Amino acid sequence: MDVIYDWMMSSWINGLVVDYPWTWPTLETLHFLGLCLLLGALLIMDLRLIGFQRTIPLGAVHALTPVAVTGFAINLVTGLGFVFGDPETYTANYAFWVKMVLVLLAGLNYAVFALRVEPSLARLGPRDAMPLSAKAVGVASLAVWFGVLAYGRLLPYVGG
Amino acid sequence: MGILAWLEASGLAEWVRTSTVGYPLMITAHAIGMAVMVGLAFLLDMRLLGMFRGIPFPALHRFFAVARAGFAINFLSGVALFTTEATTYVSDFMFVSKIALVLAGAATALWLQAAVGRDSTSWSDAVAPGAVRLVAVLSILCWVGATITGRLIAYL
Repeated sequence: MDVIYDWMMSSWINGLVVDYPWTWPTLETLHFLGLCLLLGALLIMDLRLIGFQRTIPLGAVHALTPVAVTGFAINLVTGLGFVFGDPETYTANYAFWVKMVLVLLAGLNYAVFALRVEPSLARLGPRDAMPLSAKAVGVASLAVWFGVLAYGRLLPYVGG
Repeated sequence: MGILAWLEASGLAEWVRTSTVGYPLMITAHAIGMAVMVGLAFLLDMRLLGMFRGIPFPALHRFFAVARAGFAINFLSGVALFTTEATTYVSDFMFVSKIALVLAGAATALWLQAAVGRDSTSWSDAVAPGAVRLVAVLSILCWVGATITGRLIAYL
């Protein structure tokens, strides 16, 4: 572990955080904007999967995927900025690990959607009722990602 | 000011400041409301600027309603957070700037929802008129500004 901490704390990212007081609030602000893109896109996509607003074609909602991916990418990069900037604080924090597990669960849920659920949606006509599997991944996605948000916000308050 | 001191001494303010649950619950609710309101605002504005043309404009109506629910969560959690230090926040430049940007953003959302509801069926080729696109850009600027000033309250 010490080797990893030493590596992180001697990184240029760590230098940016330690040497410039504006780095941290900039990372945080970008992290907030990234989560808005991610959750905004997911709200439309997942609510549609649940059967909300069926006048929107499924293909049109699928086109929002790059927005969600962009939001996630911004947060992955800024998240690495946080962890490299202060590795010992984060890795000692229970809420950080729960948040990371939830992100992995969200990824698993997306894999289930892409590999099993999405192909079955091809045979649906416009405005058809959504199958239970689609509703389940939609609900799971929103629940897990809002859980990520909650644990992220609570990081300073849960502590080690 | 009397009313601000009264708010700051209220049971609500005391609960948010001192209970184990109060402050973390309020800031978590505030983050959720932000994700819903600002996130949907970004997506709705992108649609109105011409992206994602497969989404019919009238279908946006119910998503404006979901965004409003996010705004309501943030209004309530925001008031609760405000009471904890009402007398200080009211003269805090960053806080006052944030509220101005939030109100401006809310105004753009109301205007856009009305425009979409009233006129969008007549927008040819699913392209919104220039005025709508301008307000959509203003909306993005307001909400990005609100997010930045909101974060900076803790720093400056």
